[in-house]
Amino acid sequence: MIKSLDPRVYQIGFLGLFLLVGIGARDWSLQPMVVATAIIGCAVNQLIAKSIFQPKENPLPSLQSSLITSLGLALLLRTNHPTTMLLAATVAIWSKFLFRWDDKHFFNPANIGIVAVVTLTGDAWVSPGQWGEDWLYFLMFLAAGSLVLKKVGRWDTSVAFLASYAAMEAARSIYLGWTWDVWAHKMMSGSLLMFALFMVTDPRSIPNARSARLVWSVVIAGATFILRNYYYVPSAVFYALFIMSPLTLILDAIWSAPKFSWEKLRPFTFNKTKLEA
Amino acid sequence: MKILIRTLTSLFLAVVLLLTFAVPAWAFCGFYVGGADAKIFNESSQVIIAHQDDKTILTMANDFQGAVKDFALVVPVPVAIKREQVNIGDKEVIKKLDAFSQPRLVEYTDENPCETKESAVIQRRDQLSDVAGSRNTTAQRAAPRDLGVTIEDSFNVKEYEILILSAKESDGLETWLRVNGYQIPKGASEVLDPYIRQKMKFFVAKINLKEFKSTGLDALRPLQIAYQSPKFMLPIRLGMLNAKGEQDLVAYILSPKGQVEVANYRTVKVPTGNEIPEFVKEDFGKFYKSTFQRSYEQENKKVAFLEYAWDVSNCDPCSTTPPTSEELRKAGVFWENNSNDAIIVPRRGRRFVPSSNTFITRLHVRYARAQFAEDLVFQETSNRDNFQGRYVMNHPYRGTLTCSAAQGYVKKVADRQQQEAQNLAKLTGWNIADITKRIQPLTAFKPTSSGNEPFWPWK
Repeated sequence: MIKSLDPRVYQIGFLGLFLLVGIGARDWSLQPMVVATAIIGCAVNQLIAKSIFQPKENPLPSLQSSLITSLGLALLLRTNHPTTMLLAATVAIWSKFLFRWDDKHFFNPANIGIVAVVTLTGDAWVSPGQWGEDWLYFLMFLAAGSLVLKKVGRWDTSVAFLASYAAMEAARSIYLGWTWDVWAHKMMSGSLLMFALFMVTDPRSIPNARSARLVWSVVIAGATFILRNYYYVPSAVFYALFIMSPLTLILDAIWSAPKFSWEKLRPFTFNKTKLEA
Repeated sequence: MKILIRTLTSLFLAVVLLLTFAVPAWAFCGFYVGGADAKIFNESSQVIIAHQDDKTILTMANDFQGAVKDFALVVPVPVAIKREQVNIGDKEVIKKLDAFSQPRLVEYTDENPCETKESAVIQRRDQLSDVAGSRNTTAQRAAPRDLGVTIEDSFNVKEYEILILSAKESDGLETWLRVNGYQIPKGASEVLDPYIRQKMKFFVAKINLKEFKSTGLDALRPLQIAYQSPKFMLPIRLGMLNAKGEQDLVAYILSPKGQVEVANYRTVKVPTGNEIPEFVKEDFGKFYKSTFQRSYEQENKKVAFLEYAWDVSNCDPCSTTPPTSEELRKAGVFWENNSNDAIIVPRRGRRFVPSSNTFITRLHVRYARAQFAEDLVFQETSNRDNFQGRYVMNHPYRGTLTCSAAQGYVKKVADRQQQEAQNLAKLTGWNIADITKRIQPLTAFKPTSSGNEPFWPWK
């Protein structure tokens, strides 16, 4: 019974848990209205977009994806106005239907939503320090992340991203003559780990083949490294992912592999190849 | 069907869960009685950072305690600084911002429970004064020598002799500074090295005694430097070398946008809104010190604390009047500030709340080498939510009570005092028994409505 559960259900459970932990234990002051706007806004947009672009499909299963997107927005994006969150939710969901190539969207929905409102509205921000650098949270993300990634089969992406980013930061630390605790402090950031485990691994928008994913992860790690250390952008990971997202198309063209489908993961629905956004 | 039920259930649960947590809301009112200024913390530095886009004006306060001739300051800066980018700041402005943003105690006095219409008169109490603080290094005299150190610029600004240095090797820089009489703490080259490799410059200042004497002042004035760089950070690693243990840094960050937070450490709000016993008023500074220490320990000593965040044009309750445009300009505000100088200090009731395009964030960081390996990196946010460290004291009505409602009131006060004692113990870690001893219970209650009381006036 448990085996047949869609991995998205796990993901929803974990993201929901992180949200509650953030509010309860990490001193986040989120407005309930803003969080509710993210959830409802994503769901409504998903239903509308689905009815326009894929009218023949049952839109309800895809609400799981929209819930993941909305929880991602609620966890990462900070704003004091529900309207800004609604805009982020709208951009996030519609990006899946508008920015498509060969029946695959290539922007991570929550990521494009965040980048859009932070750069365009000036009314939103991301708090990279919000999780702190505690072991406890490090282990919590690691445990939850590995469970989901094992099911989705995208652990390679997280490992490649974290390993290459850690190596670049280590090289810089050695060059600058920083003590190792500076490097450890950078790498223990809860926000970085959450990004590596839950955002950069979205199986629907990242390259399909493993080799392509490895290249892709290293490129994103490199972009993050440069933006953070040479352009002093505190939330560099989000911009790095955004800028590099279209690269998915090129990498998919070079390394071909079957597209990811949530249905395929479930037993007894093996022959179903239809994709849902 | 199963999928549909599962999806809808999870959606519903998520919405319900999120709507049930409540953000604590309280009215910002009450009367200001006193504050805890930055002076109560030993080993503390105060800086003002006025920041917009990639432009920064950094004001460093100097309350150097030793002989003025021993004063020296070495600060890594992102770019070379020219003569015109350095200014002498006004110490009073730092005092002003400290007083304006300090954690505060407010008081309420209960009304006579036997009188429903008349309210008790509440007196506004006096404010605490404050003095700025700073961190610094010491210096002597010696001759210069070439050690891979380039003097990019050298100039005098009033009583300060300033050098802008760049270096190739930290050993060379350390030696150069030593030879030139700057008493650099041991292990400095290890800390200087990363700054050199990041191509940062060093702003080095010492005192020209003749000039200093001619100012007629007995204390050093703050130094103010303006620079343009995307680096929005504060170097703290160098300062950790000559400090014995933990150090306090209070940063008043002014931004036209909104709150500023630390990007590479958690920013946590200090406890606020707690109701505490009346006797805390006798030594509010001691109370806040203990409260801060306890929060610091609870957060494992590795967070930055937010003590205040507010639009500079108003406050509620006000610990002092909001800074004027002139004061803000002296604090480094270089953007056009549209605040209203003729501000009416807000009082109870409906009022016009002025707003401006300058927002102040007061961050208090207590740091030690073990927990703060990295320099502080800041980021501006568009968050214009107000926040203040505010503690509430309730005075019971201590007049004669002559009605049946009084019995209930006495019980209510006793319960409240009990709760306040617990709050205080929780906030400060003080012993609850000691706290309870200091609370003055309401004992003046004499029921006088039974009808058997003597009627003669000399009772």
